[in-house]
Amino acid sequence: MFQKILIANRGEIALRVICACKELGIRTVAVYSEADRNSLHARFADEAICIGPAKSARSYLDIPSVISAAEITNANAIHPGYGFLSENADFADVCETSGLRFIGPKPEVIRTMGLKQRARAAMEEHGVPILPGSKGILKSAEDAIETAKTVGYPVMLKASAGGGGRGMRVVRAAEELPALMSQAQAEATAAFSCGDLYLEKLIEAPRHIEFQVLADEHGNVEILGERECTIQRRHQKLLEEAPSPCVSHKLRDSMSKRLKKALRAIGYTNAGTVEFLMDEEGELRFIEVNARIQVEHPVTEFVTGADLVKSQILVAAGLHLDEILPRPPEIRGHAIECRINAEHPETFVPSPGRITGLNLPGGIGIRIDTAAYQDGVIPPYYDSLVAKLIAYGRDRSEAIVRMQRALDMFVVEGIQTSIPLHQKILAHPDFQAGRLDTNFLQRTNLVPK
Amino acid sequence: MTIAEIKELIELFNASGVAELEVQRGEDRVRIRRAGTIQEYSTPMPAGAAPGVAGVAQPPAQPSSAPGAATKEPESTDVIVRSPIVGTYYDAPAPGAAPFVQVGDQVEPGQVLCIIESMKLMNEIEAEVAGTVTSKLVENGRPVEYGEALFALRPR
Repeated sequence: MFQKILIANRGEIALRVICACKELGIRTVAVYSEADRNSLHARFADEAICIGPAKSARSYLDIPSVISAAEITNANAIHPGYGFLSENADFADVCETSGLRFIGPKPEVIRTMGLKQRARAAMEEHGVPILPGSKGILKSAEDAIETAKTVGYPVMLKASAGGGGRGMRVVRAAEELPALMSQAQAEATAAFSCGDLYLEKLIEAPRHIEFQVLADEHGNVEILGERECTIQRRHQKLLEEAPSPCVSHKLRDSMSKRLKKALRAIGYTNAGTVEFLMDEEGELRFIEVNARIQVEHPVTEFVTGADLVKSQILVAAGLHLDEILPRPPEIRGHAIECRINAEHPETFVPSPGRITGLNLPGGIGIRIDTAAYQDGVIPPYYDSLVAKLIAYGRDRSEAIVRMQRALDMFVVEGIQTSIPLHQKILAHPDFQAGRLDTNFLQRTNLVPK
Repeated sequence: MTIAEIKELIELFNASGVAELEVQRGEDRVRIRRAGTIQEYSTPMPAGAAPGVAGVAQPPAQPSSAPGAATKEPESTDVIVRSPIVGTYYDAPAPGAAPFVQVGDQVEPGQVLCIIESMKLMNEIEAEVAGTVTSKLVENGRPVEYGEALFALRPR
């Protein structure tokens, strides 16, 4: 078992990892930028090292600084959290050559999953349904037009080195394609240093369904059910829930079986999420794999009883899945998570600043993952997540009323938050009936069109 | 740690110019911070200087007291040289060799003051101003973090 883990992240996820380490008796090292000097993760870790100025590129994303911090504190392993360096295969490589265990999948797997077209091809090869689209990277505009003709418009051009909704363009007719393709290539090159694009059929009003993976280093793979993350704004998830109101037992079982087989064949280890779109016919189509722990992992933890972050550490320490969680995992009850962001609930203008008043709701079935505290500052340099509010109930209705009760009692003063927006979402009859699609916020007029 | 020991720490702290003090002995840990040292963020921090190709752009040098200073308190006119990276501090080019600088030495801009080792690479930290070394603030071989005070220089 590891003696000391360095957490290469900040905010609530850094605290989350510290929690798991504390429970396992593992000492923790936090790294922080100058902007995070008074942050909770630096306070609660056993050791804290300042690694750079506020800008992420010179602190949390600076590989030599992070590795150096691990060296001077004699850490044995690094947990990368989500975002930042968590899907940086080069970083995972550097960890290994520096004698540090990277708590996540192997570098080659991270690399393959990070090239979205390669991940798509690998999944297809192993029997996981994908969206109709290009066979590989698009070679030219003519190639793209040919493919789009076969697939049928509308189509989506996607950056292979991208992900998370970035580097994408919708094309509705052949005439638009060459120009949009150039735009997408330029954007992809600028953002990801790789202009490779692929193409997929566009589903107009999909639902976003993703499956939680946990695999040990001995070839065992488990799927811990699915999450529905359909409520999004500009491809950023606002609310997630488990299980999905539209995934039947049969679909869950059959997809879990297929995924286990595919991920075993790929050699996947540690935690991950396989993302799908559900089309208008209720069919699941693979879009990408996120080879890391996700923001919304708590909803899965509530309905399965698993501790996913602890499990990541135990997997990296060499334990077998049977020693880590009950198999097959049982899905019980229903959980919903609201991402409370520091932004205006209607205009979405970011609202960093000092929190002058804070009341966190509690009570039965409520969990809050946050690094916010009264008089603490939400800095302008990083993401706007203030807190994750998770509600659990014996069924979806109970989870909903618990979430509503908690949102009503969640007081944040000094900054704007998305709490009022979440209240409107929860109150909407379509949400309550489970009538969801990724255009939910626009068609219900909860966001400007 | 006894109450008497903590009282003594508080008295020591109050008498010094130090902003924050953390002491760990075994399982006991005490942190003392001066009121009013929480940073304000009403405006974004100015963009840092672009890092040089050779690696290390220094954080802006400020005349201030060095937190957790090992020996003497630098004067308020002194410029503090701070570590631009995380790593291990060495005051000489090799083990057993003479240190790069001693207290009282005159230094020129570009002159190497020390080495910070990071990931097996030796990074030379250079003086940015001409002046006299008034304090060496870190022991040889100790780990340092970003922004840690290394030297006090009195500019010419």
